[in-house]
Amino acid sequence: MAQEKALRLFAAFFFLLLPLSAAENDALCAACHASEAAHHRATPMAQALERVESCGILAAHPNLTFQDGPYRYAVVRRERATILTVTGNSEKLELPLLWAFGRGQAGQTYVFEFEGALYESRVSFYNATGALDLTIGATARKPQSITEAAGRRMDWLGARDCFACHSHNGVSDGKLHLESVAPGVGCGSCHGDVEKHAEAVRAGDATGAKLPHLAALSAEETADLCGRCHRTWSQIALSGPRGIPNVRFQPYRLLNSKCYDASDLRIRCTACHDPHGSLETNLAAYDRKCTACHAAAQHGKLCPVAKANCAGCHMPKIELPGAHARFTDHQIRIVRAGDPYPN
Amino acid sequence: MRCSPRNSFAAAVRLAPILLAFAAAAQQPPPVEELLRHAIELHQKGDIAAAIPEYRAYLKRVPGNAMARSNLGAALAGAGQYEEAIVEYNKALEAQPGNASVRLNLSLAYYKAAKISEAAAELERITAGEPANRRAVLLLADCDLRLGENKKVIEILTPLERQSPDDKALIYMLGTALIRDHQADRGQVLIDRILRDGDSAEARLLMGATKLSVQDYAGALADFKRAVELNPSLPDLYSYYGMALAATGDTPNAETAFRKELETNPNDYTSNLQLGILLTQEDQHTEARERFEHALAVRPGDASARYQLAALDLQDGRTEIARTELEKLTHEIPQFVEAHVSLATAYYREKRKQDGDKERAIVLRLNAEKQAAEPGAQAR
Repeated sequence: MAQEKALRLFAAFFFLLLPLSAAENDALCAACHASEAAHHRATPMAQALERVESCGILAAHPNLTFQDGPYRYAVVRRERATILTVTGNSEKLELPLLWAFGRGQAGQTYVFEFEGALYESRVSFYNATGALDLTIGATARKPQSITEAAGRRMDWLGARDCFACHSHNGVSDGKLHLESVAPGVGCGSCHGDVEKHAEAVRAGDATGAKLPHLAALSAEETADLCGRCHRTWSQIALSGPRGIPNVRFQPYRLLNSKCYDASDLRIRCTACHDPHGSLETNLAAYDRKCTACHAAAQHGKLCPVAKANCAGCHMPKIELPGAHARFTDHQIRIVRAGDPYPN
Repeated sequence: MRCSPRNSFAAAVRLAPILLAFAAAAQQPPPVEELLRHAIELHQKGDIAAAIPEYRAYLKRVPGNAMARSNLGAALAGAGQYEEAIVEYNKALEAQPGNASVRLNLSLAYYKAAKISEAAAELERITAGEPANRRAVLLLADCDLRLGENKKVIEILTPLERQSPDDKALIYMLGTALIRDHQADRGQVLIDRILRDGDSAEARLLMGATKLSVQDYAGALADFKRAVELNPSLPDLYSYYGMALAATGDTPNAETAFRKELETNPNDYTSNLQLGILLTQEDQHTEARERFEHALAVRPGDASARYQLAALDLQDGRTEIARTELEKLTHEIPQFVEAHVSLATAYYREKRKQDGDKERAIVLRLNAEKQAAEPGAQAR
């Protein structure tokens, strides 16, 4: 037992000596928190970003094509590289893709560099169709040039914020440092400075090893933490989007629910979702979360229609236009046929 | 002769009255008018650091001399000590309330100390008594422009523009106010007049500002770039340039532009506010706070600067301070959506669910009203 602990600490110390990649960062934490790290590694969050050379979807779909008006798109795998070729209006652009955002649960969008700037590809891969289609948001604008047809130039803040959520170690002092990006949501994305923590543990410094106690966060604080990437209520309330496009911003939707209580732990994000685990897709598994409040003993209002699969009716799945995917609406409510989408 | 201790003592006793007389003479203060003359001489030579104590010494003995008091104010202002200059000018005006040149200096000191609304108040008093005081009128217009009082600027400058149709500085200021007041057509007439004399930074700035107001960011950027080439020291130019850059997502260059504006124009409200917002996004809260506080000093009571400070307090965990300010803001401006959003967060953090729910309901209502008022809403 003591030997195992020593080995773990040695592993942690070893990883502290090197610049950390995603797996190494994970391994640093796994030395002591093996179960959490192993579970987290399998989640879509941990795989929210991939370098194109190691992208499973592109390896499995080595020749993707798409046509939009005058522009023809080809995403072709050449050994470990993947090239986006856009042709149209007697012009042609060949762009090596660099990053794959999203694991393809809904879709996967690519980022490339062109003339010193990062661009979001105008076409994305969609899991439901197994093919390319326009990236969400791209439908609204018609490209005026072959560059615009290839992708949208990401502004400085936008690029930083994309990488801040889909990776870790890439943003410091409020600035994006691509050279240190570790793909995927890492332990430190939520827990803070895990390297400092590990170093303090190694030094036996209990005070320095302290990390924010996330389990003690209120519903509101948890929504703000998850909302850093899934968008907070404030962000959507201030800047939109309005209507169905905001269905994918779960903290905003949840906080609009009548039953939301900022200080009631039974309604916080982590009451239903294990941040270290994969998404539970069996609706019945959520029932006891609902009955934690809506039980005869403590709640005057009980559902007269059903006793199981509460989320199936009260959190309907809504098709997000252009996403080839349906999202669970986290605005918990009594849904009546013909009612408009509550904004 | 040997000098015995007794002899030495006797000699000392004989010399004592003479030494005391010398010492007394050395401690005798110079004639009071000599002090003032010397202070003025030093001031005129540009040795402000030496002039200030001379003026002070004189005023200690003759505190009622308004001219000397005003000179001390000017010396202090020259040394960049505007707050102290303001004190001296005000004392001078107590003795001579009708002295317009002292009041103009006071307003300049207020202006330099970023107390723009105080400067404007003093200038209004001057122009009320001397409507033809062109310097005061132009400075008042400049203050009003900084305070966002565009209609006042138009009111003040329109008659002057008729008298001096070729005064580029005046036309430029009036044009800026017209464009900011969404009177683009009248602004365009002035731009055309400036352009008659060929391409100029002033015209380019006005054209860029017009394009910025209709969200033609690429066009605005091109005009501002050209204006920078023609005259990079034109006031407000880098401020507008920064806004256009920020609107196109070029945040690093926007930050540089705002900093350039502040190098020569430290009291520019927009650059202070916008730079603060960019710094907040970069998590540089200490400097962001300084920028917001400076913006607030330029425009006391300004809701945007107050909101940004409150939002920063909220981010930094000073919930009670933030909540108090946000309550004031939402009371003063009930349609201020951002303030309601932040106030809801503050209430929830303080575990005041009902108040938080109320604020969120207000936000949803205001957003719905805004959406309904958007063009095409009826057709949806």
